[in-house]
Amino acid sequence: MATIQIKAEVAGSVWKIVTAIGDTVEPGGTLMILESMKMEIPVIAEDGGKVEKFTVAETEAVNEGQVVAVLTK
Amino acid sequence: MSTEAPAPTDWGPEVEELRRRRTYATALGGEEAVARHRERGRLTIRERVAGLVDSGSFQEVGTLTGQGKYDGAALTGVQPAPYVMGLASIDGRPVAVGGEDFTIRGGSSWSGDRKKGGQGGFVEDLAASYRIPLVNLIDGAGGSVTSINKRGHAVFPGVHGFERSVELLGKVPVVCAVLGTAAGGPAGRAILSHWSVMVDGISQVFAAGPPVVERSLGQKLTKEELGGPQVAVDLAGTIDNRVDTEENCFAQVKRFLSYMPSNVWEMPPEVACTDPVDRCDEELLSIVPRDRRRPYNMRKLIEHVVDRGSVFEIQPTYGKGLITVLARMNGKVVGVIANNPMVYGGAMDVKAARKQIHFVELCDCFHIPLVFLVDVPGFMVGRDAEAAATLREGMRAVYVGLQASVPMYTVVIRKCYGMAGMGTTDKNGLDLKIAWPSAEWGSLPIEGGVAAAFRRDIAGAADPKAREREIEDELRSMASPFRTAEAFGVEEIIDPRETRPYLCRFIDAAQARLRTTLGPKAKYGVRP
Repeated sequence: MATIQIKAEVAGSVWKIVTAIGDTVEPGGTLMILESMKMEIPVIAEDGGKVEKFTVAETEAVNEGQVVAVLTK
Repeated sequence: MSTEAPAPTDWGPEVEELRRRRTYATALGGEEAVARHRERGRLTIRERVAGLVDSGSFQEVGTLTGQGKYDGAALTGVQPAPYVMGLASIDGRPVAVGGEDFTIRGGSSWSGDRKKGGQGGFVEDLAASYRIPLVNLIDGAGGSVTSINKRGHAVFPGVHGFERSVELLGKVPVVCAVLGTAAGGPAGRAILSHWSVMVDGISQVFAAGPPVVERSLGQKLTKEELGGPQVAVDLAGTIDNRVDTEENCFAQVKRFLSYMPSNVWEMPPEVACTDPVDRCDEELLSIVPRDRRRPYNMRKLIEHVVDRGSVFEIQPTYGKGLITVLARMNGKVVGVIANNPMVYGGAMDVKAARKQIHFVELCDCFHIPLVFLVDVPGFMVGRDAEAAATLREGMRAVYVGLQASVPMYTVVIRKCYGMAGMGTTDKNGLDLKIAWPSAEWGSLPIEGGVAAAFRRDIAGAADPKAREREIEDELRSMASPFRTAEAFGVEEIIDPRETRPYLCRFIDAAQARLRTTLGPKAKYGVRP
């Protein structure tokens, strides 16, 4: 079983987490939505997987490249 | 009766020696060295050339170069020069191709009477003189301090030949593939290209390798950490693209060249178009969300507009706020520059600006029309962006765009603001700007702009927040693209589905202009 670290492509803040721990996300599915430059930027799980944990919470600030969730597959 | 062999009546013995000498050349650094090279997952330079060019098309030049070994007057062997090059063809078009042979002294430089290639040399003279593309297959370690021992003096940095490498960039397509660890000269040579590529796992590129870095800075890093594709391609954009295997690398080199003319005096190669020019994809009507806060997939949008299967993305992993692709429209080569709303709302940061500068110059040099698919809120803002000199790099992108003379088409998809927005227009040419109904533009976005311009008005209101919103709504109602179209401030608003036929029509019509303005382009002035 592989562990996949999901990183934020942009700096911003966590607007909404739209999945829950234990959820299975399809490849290309949205894990959470960041707010960055007044836009809602989806954080996408390219290869999909099962949500193991979130490393950020809603309203929290995130940096570019920061790990925001861990998936297993 | 004499026991001596009869004197030859023809040149048979010499031709036999030639055959032997050719055999030495094909043996490269010898069985052992070649086996070691293969064990490290790498192809030999001869396999690389064979994998890249049209089957059987390689006409080697300088086959006999190297260090001969003699027993008296009799030849016993030749250690070949560590560089293999010549004339070949790719997709039926002649190219100059060469590369270091790593199996001989790590592909380090070789001093014959004339350089074969690497930095200048015959292969680059061939490309310049015959006006054909150059492909460098780089796998060399560059200079070595041991040469001081050999020569008895230190070599002044740089060789004659680099000026040729620079000259080529204005005349013929130059592709550099990094296929090993490149430091120093070979690394520098890789950068002097129109397009460069490296292979995951076997390629690294840096100014200096781990031993020098440890000695200089005390940093202990592996070759991969210092100059693997994650650094050199994704993070730094030092090299343009990365691929997973050498075979794919050759396929990508061919693909890149398929969009390029052989030189700046010729038109980019046109192909027969099987995709209907009047294809109006329904998806384009809804691809941009009505909610301005929501982004969309710009790469999908591009696919809907250009000829099917014609997209070749340059620097896909670097400066992701901007997308640069070579593509075709009605079979004619175009360069597409599109902002990516998924990354900082498409704002132009330093990396995006750099990427745009190189791509605009590439297309301008080879007479490839540019299509801007615009969704840019402006330059990136914030302390980090200012500290990175976004404004200066962004204005360089604007400057280079305003110097370019190739036809450009501005298609405003959504936002078009500020200097970055202006940088998407063809001020030297027709300045044709078309827009989708989702378009919005101005010196700066209304949000934020209102707070600054109407500060006193807002502060003096009974309910400042409500007053700010009121002014915003009032201004927004006047920001409709239709109002600008009334004033001919934008030349046309189109149904998004009509984008492909509309652009194809104008790009077809621009061909006469392109055909009659071929040749090298002189650039004056000082880039800010």
